[in-house]
Amino acid sequence: MKLHFLKSKEKRNLIEELEKIYGITELPYLLLETGKQKIRGFSGHLSKEEIVQLTRLTNVEIIGAYLINKKDEEARISFDAIQLFKEKITKNIIEINNQQLQLWLRGYDLEIRAPRGIIILKHQEDFVGIGKSNTEKIFNYVPKERKLKTKIS
Amino acid sequence: MRYEMKPLFKQRMETLLPDKEDFEKYNKIIHIGPESFIRCNTIKIPIEKLLSKLKKKWNVVQPFSNYPEIMLVNQNLEPGELGNSLEHTLGYYYIQEISSMLPPLALDPKPNELILDLCASPGSKTSQIAMYMQNQGTIIANDLNIGRIKILSTNLEKCGVTNAIITRKDAIGLCASLSKSTFPKFDKILVDAPCSGEGTLRSSPKTFLMWNPKLIKKFSRQQKTFVAFALKCLKKGGTLVYSTCTHAPEENEEVVDFALKNFPVKIEKISLPLKTRQGITSWNNKSYHNDVKHSCRIYPQDNNSEGFFVAKMTLLEEVK
Repeated sequence: MKLHFLKSKEKRNLIEELEKIYGITELPYLLLETGKQKIRGFSGHLSKEEIVQLTRLTNVEIIGAYLINKKDEEARISFDAIQLFKEKITKNIIEINNQQLQLWLRGYDLEIRAPRGIIILKHQEDFVGIGKSNTEKIFNYVPKERKLKTKIS
Repeated sequence: MRYEMKPLFKQRMETLLPDKEDFEKYNKIIHIGPESFIRCNTIKIPIEKLLSKLKKKWNVVQPFSNYPEIMLVNQNLEPGELGNSLEHTLGYYYIQEISSMLPPLALDPKPNELILDLCASPGSKTSQIAMYMQNQGTIIANDLNIGRIKILSTNLEKCGVTNAIITRKDAIGLCASLSKSTFPKFDKILVDAPCSGEGTLRSSPKTFLMWNPKLIKKFSRQQKTFVAFALKCLKKGGTLVYSTCTHAPEENEEVVDFALKNFPVKIEKISLPLKTRQGITSWNNKSYHNDVKHSCRIYPQDNNSEGFFVAKMTLLEEVK
């Protein structure tokens, strides 16, 4: 596994971007970038040197959790990382109702007018996903394997 | 379709359960599906919050006061109902059979420890360990097969586990590489070994058909090697928990006996939230070390669970 630990400056820039979009002001993780411009966060206590040593001893497949996708123009938080950041997200939140939630979890885009860009969806007290608005609708980013397969009751 | 025990399997289980009534209870319960246990994933949600959400739709109870994260959905459910809830999609709980939660309880992980989960996929126990570690310290979660690694990675991701490093190597090769290097020794190791799966008949009735005495011998050899190599990676005073989901003594007590007779280990008594029975000290004309009795056998008829085996050992001197 080729490791690219984010340098302090890269981390600072990323946090600045996250603050602008989400209101997130800290990332208490060792950050790594993988080939697909995905940022992973590791909260473990092993040092960088120990991790590098481990990669020399065995096949390291995954380190920490997938937190952020940098492929698009705006840094997009992953579906599961929203739960990890939920106390810190303060911006671009839209509340959806139960019917919209049912559609959302099944992978449908939502016909909701919202400012262009990244939107965090909230249902009651739960953060239920992240989407992108073109001002007319919010495009669905629920990962394929996580979409509900059942019919809407 | 109802499967039956193969004659030799039945004979072995009758030897393990000599009381006729006890055996009949066993033979009855293995044909009934398991109960619907879930584990609150405290990495993502506090226990009380999840409980309050789930109680709005299901009859949920917490059977063990010392382990409030363990919940039982005490009602009939539609197929897939547990897996299709909003709370499951968001990773608020993990569907996990109660007996499979026992090895991490025996391991008793603490934040800031370095823990090796040698045969980690599908990740039920790894995510449980990470939860008890509060995503601090480090877990090295290893498995061999790339398909199983993907399942492991998906499950850890879903549970919000950020303190794990997933490695792909055969267990022996990994331990050999680690022990020969200057990589830190582990505080704790879980060897939840591949096994013949006799304890999983309730959730996986095909085990009735797949059961094969040759496999038991093969697994037993492999399990002993796993434990032997794992012990080389453990620090002095460290803990190794050995577990299987089978009743076969060759894969359980015989492996613990092997560890006791070949390594400086001590078998610890374990307190678990289920009724357990002592490890047996003889089988098929073989006598095991007396301390093997501190191991725990979990039978389905005792707790309305799956079958399991758990043993906890402390390493008294570092193994070179």
